[in-house]
Amino acid sequence: MVNLNTIPPKNNRDFYIAIGLEGSANKLGVGIVKHPLLPKHANSDLSYDCGAEMLSNIRDTYMTPPGEGFLPRDTARHHRNWCVRLIKQAMAEAGIKDPTLDVDVICFTRGPGMGAPLHSVVIAARTCSLLWDVPLVGVNHCIGHIEMGREITKAQNPVVLYVSGGNTQVIAYSEKRYRIFGETLDIAIGNCLDRFARTLKIPNEPSPGYNIEQLAKKAPHKDSLVELPYTVKGMDLSMSGILASVDLLAKDLFKCNKKNKILFDKKTGEQKVTVEDLCYSLQENLFAMLVEITERAMAHVNSNQVLIVGGVGCNVRLQEMMAQMCKDRANGQIHATDNRFCIDNGVMIAQAGLLEYRMGGIVKDFSETIVTQKFRTDEVYAAWRD
Amino acid sequence: MTQEFIDKVSSYLSQDIDITPISQGAEAIVFSTSTHPYLPKTRESHQKFIIKYRPPKRYRHPQIDQTLTKHRTLNESRLLAKLYLIPGLYVPQLLACDPYNGFIWLEFLGEDLPGGYGFSNLKNFLWMHDKDPYNDLVAATLHKVGIQIGLLHWNDYCHGDLTSSNIVLVKYGAEWVPHLIDFGLGSVSNLVEDKGVDLYVLERAILSTHSKHAEKYNDWIMEGFEAAYHEKGAKGIKKFKEVTKRFQEVRLRGRKRSMLG
Repeated sequence: MVNLNTIPPKNNRDFYIAIGLEGSANKLGVGIVKHPLLPKHANSDLSYDCGAEMLSNIRDTYMTPPGEGFLPRDTARHHRNWCVRLIKQAMAEAGIKDPTLDVDVICFTRGPGMGAPLHSVVIAARTCSLLWDVPLVGVNHCIGHIEMGREITKAQNPVVLYVSGGNTQVIAYSEKRYRIFGETLDIAIGNCLDRFARTLKIPNEPSPGYNIEQLAKKAPHKDSLVELPYTVKGMDLSMSGILASVDLLAKDLFKCNKKNKILFDKKTGEQKVTVEDLCYSLQENLFAMLVEITERAMAHVNSNQVLIVGGVGCNVRLQEMMAQMCKDRANGQIHATDNRFCIDNGVMIAQAGLLEYRMGGIVKDFSETIVTQKFRTDEVYAAWRD
Repeated sequence: MTQEFIDKVSSYLSQDIDITPISQGAEAIVFSTSTHPYLPKTRESHQKFIIKYRPPKRYRHPQIDQTLTKHRTLNESRLLAKLYLIPGLYVPQLLACDPYNGFIWLEFLGEDLPGGYGFSNLKNFLWMHDKDPYNDLVAATLHKVGIQIGLLHWNDYCHGDLTSSNIVLVKYGAEWVPHLIDFGLGSVSNLVEDKGVDLYVLERAILSTHSKHAEKYNDWIMEGFEAAYHEKGAKGIKKFKEVTKRFQEVRLRGRKRSMLG
């Protein structure tokens, strides 16, 4: 059993308040979370049911023109420019007047992520900490996603599929750690979709993956898929080969290369496949692989709950496929959140950081606040779980 | 396990064949039966066979599903037939297969572990010995698991999905003999890369399922793996070095796999 009330809230309040700062990729997020101090948490395994209240959840995304990705230095500049404004706005929205008295802890993303953006956000966190005399907690980005998903969906012990621009992992909890059962061996799923979007030169607004999803819905030849590699390796998968082959097809399509028999009819030279079809086939292929490795992990750990988190988790088609898979398993349950909590945000950092803070884990020296690009999910000791 | 699938299977097999569902894996549903696919019924009633059925997965596109089911069923059957002939390597005997419908008949292996620990696969066996993990029986069994994997790789086959639940232990007298099962993702390959990935998948599976004693377990398995190669003489030692070198590289690659997002 775990005591989540190890550290009492400041000034004898009956609730905790945490600010979370997130900026590991092109999204800058500031979120404020409130946890009531409840006696049931003193001796419990209720880290998925904190009664959390989101006081504010603000996000600003650095957008690039079609066909371009975000570069670390430009993203970092965006975060530096917007960080103070977002923090002020979040505090106003949450009604916090004096952060010195009202804020228990400031949480920031320690990693994994792009070095430069992480660095610019942690500087803001350190400054606030010194300014208001509030302790800091460093949070693993993946753990943030998992804890937010658990709190929102109240899933007690699910198999987590974490799919985003930089990570593709199947995770399950065991003995105080979130263990990675399967993951990508090369590029992440979001990365694969983003890069294909760049090849197609479709807009990055609101997100490349969303635009691919919309294109896929309009595919005219849904009954005949373009064959792409299917690369599941045990509980791991590999996606670079799929990206390379679909990229080649797209380029041949744009160049009108009639020699390509997959795209054009051998005799008449008529076009058989459209850009929408390519998007549809890519999605079907990638998501089938994801659902398969999730099912493998579920069978391996004898679990029947799935939680999808991360930016790609907003994809309705992925949620549909996962729901179908769960339906065919004995008492399968699926948990997914919407884009407020799926896409990177500050609230999730605040949620995971506050759990850590309530277990007594605070940064004692600024040397512990160094951010890191490589920070695995299973490196974190999950003190708040049983 | 849904009733729908069971009905589907019994209607496919006809009423004369009795089926008892045993388990639902990720990919397949496993049934036990007392009927041999083509030999006449003998008077010995205790004989048991396995029917492994890969049901159509409704979540994926029918085209992907058909290709995968056919490919994996056929692949598994072919591999099992070849592997069964290799001396020293233990896999279940293939009796019949129907790749278009996703059915395989196999010989029944394993038994129930004492003390309610369930079926005798390596996962349950290790959990049974969780209290006293470093006894000689565990060490010897894991050593033999390593030898099996070593033999498999030496003969240029890869399993593709090595986990502790895909290794079944069969009791001969006092000792447990590991048998490899589930070759749906297996392949014929002489690339060190595939073998390295195979070992890495197993190491990670042990690490995440049996985290407490994983290091020792993996050591024992690797000892067995080494022994299987060293038995083959100088050529074996050379190959072993190549495989382990690539294994280290794959492991490093895997560790780096946390970037951004």
